Amino acid sequence: MSDGGSVDVRGVVKRYRDTLALDDVTLHVPGGEFVTLLGASGSGKSTLLGVIAGFTEPTSGSVAVDGRDITKVPPYRRGLGMVFQHYALFPHMTVWDNVAFPLRRRRVRGDELRTRVEQALEVVGLGALAKRLPAQLSGGQQQRVALARAIVFRPRVLLMDEPLSALDKRLREQLQLEMKRLHRELGITFVFVTHDQEEALTMSDRIALLRDGRIVQAGTPEELYERPSSRYTAEFLGESNLFPGRDAGTVLVVRPEHLGVLPQGESLPQDHEAYDCDVREVVYLGSGLRVEVELRSGQRVVARTAARGPHVPKPGDSAIVHWHPETSVVVSDDE
Amino acid sequence: MTAEAATAEPAAPAVRRGLPRLDRWGLLVLPLVGFLLAVLVWPLTAVLLRSFTDPEPGVENYLAFFHSPVYLDVLVNTFVTAGLVTLVTLLLGFPYSYLMTLASPFWRGVLMLAVLVPFWTSLLVRTFAWVLILRDTGVVNELLPGPPVPLLRNLPGVLIGMVQVMLPFAVLPMYAAMRGIDRRLLQAAEGLGARPAFAFWRIYAPLAVPGVAASALLVFVSSLGFYVTPALLGGPKNIMIGELIVQQLSGVLRWGFASALAVILLVVTGGLLMLMSRLVDLRRLLGGAR
Repeated sequence: MSDGGSVDVRGVVKRYRDTLALDDVTLHVPGGEFVTLLGASGSGKSTLLGVIAGFTEPTSGSVAVDGRDITKVPPYRRGLGMVFQHYALFPHMTVWDNVAFPLRRRRVRGDELRTRVEQALEVVGLGALAKRLPAQLSGGQQQRVALARAIVFRPRVLLMDEPLSALDKRLREQLQLEMKRLHRELGITFVFVTHDQEEALTMSDRIALLRDGRIVQAGTPEELYERPSSRYTAEFLGESNLFPGRDAGTVLVVRPEHLGVLPQGESLPQDHEAYDCDVREVVYLGSGLRVEVELRSGQRVVARTAARGPHVPKPGDSAIVHWHPETSVVVSDDE
Repeated sequence: MTAEAATAEPAAPAVRRGLPRLDRWGLLVLPLVGFLLAVLVWPLTAVLLRSFTDPEPGVENYLAFFHSPVYLDVLVNTFVTAGLVTLVTLLLGFPYSYLMTLASPFWRGVLMLAVLVPFWTSLLVRTFAWVLILRDTGVVNELLPGPPVPLLRNLPGVLIGMVQVMLPFAVLPMYAAMRGIDRRLLQAAEGLGARPAFAFWRIYAPLAVPGVAASALLVFVSSLGFYVTPALLGGPKNIMIGELIVQQLSGVLRWGFASALAVILLVVTGGLLMLMSRLVDLRRLLGGAR
């Protein structure tokens, strides 16, 4: 058995008066995995986390950790770590006392209390700030304290509700790496909620994409990005270009990095599919070019191409946009 | 440090302390300053002077006060009554304010109105209403079986009347403070292993302390000066210093002695407040050492 607890959500429904926040959600998180609940606001991702944490009682369905049904167990007996977007540090307690709080509730005292609090603060790199009050810390530091407080009692599952959303981009990226490291070091299960698809792609072992209270698709970041099952998934994760599918009710998804742009008259690589187009915009990104072209139908398509080569497109050029059929994915059109 | 002093030091930090530089708009403060001088500073000075000069120069009035146990009893009774009123008001007001933070906007409005409506009614009318309600043949004793319970001309009567008057002063500051407390902290505490009751007392209650302290101070200090309510609802044992002052002023015309009583009340109250601010560091309780 790993250090992480498995989480099983079975047939969970949450109804608020006339809205269905969760509509029959079933999710299995193996122990030790980093799973992200991804979705737009109102998709039910935070509600689902609240159900696992015990703050939200499901209308029906069950939640189990390590096979033990905890649906009726109050949050204070679930023993799960929780980190909030708004940090939720106790403003009248020092950093040290905040981190000691869950240990004291578990009757840890004396030397053990001291070493464990110090260890947890070391892990997040805040040992020197133990005597400060939360108000004297920056947002990133506060979230690190919250993280230390959530792991200090060695929970087997750590729940995080948009923990990085309140931070600026640089800090967010830095903390993303720290959380990945923490996940590796602790070996516990992470259930992470975010609306940021990039964050989900970089951090997770697996992603569950939610929409209107349902899980649209669950799988590894690669699966969701390379083989989306629906138009919604394809559009939510990364940039995608949509072309009409052969069958009704389907669309063809091609990622920008799989598209090539050639001048009119150049011969196409073998078996490639193609559309005539006009180049509208070319943006230099350093690592390559972002080329926006307009098809004859008026549709705009985005390609990412190399910045150097024999055919660098310029705005106004007549061109051909093309791709290898194997790089495209046919998905159901659920829009 | 005045504005002039700040400009005289170019190296001084940008944040100026003390008086801001006044422009012509600053003159708008003059009516209030004049009003305060006329109705507060001048009369207080007059009272202070009179206490030492009437009927003749000296400290006679103060000696008279401290030589008579009757007067000292009144002073002690004043502070004990105000303390009890504060205690009862806070005990009733705390859960009420807490409920207001939980209620839906509609019910919050109803609760707020319930506190404020008596506030808008004449104190005299309310006090006479209490007389009708609490007397031996009043509503309360009609409903209670057995011999009438004495609720008038005694301490319970005074407490009931004063607590009702003071409730808005306790509820409003406490509600304001509690509204600012993030209830999600309770959720966080429960997630970390605290039972709801424990989370309330260790997280919510300490954060509410500044509001409670503000309410306590307001109620206590206001209660010290009560006159009408203890006069109508209390008995001869419940005389507060306000009543004694009125008695001395209009009853026996000892204006100098009445002035001395007022000064003593002011000094003792000021002393108590200073002592409290020494013992309770409000800034620490607020959680911000800024």
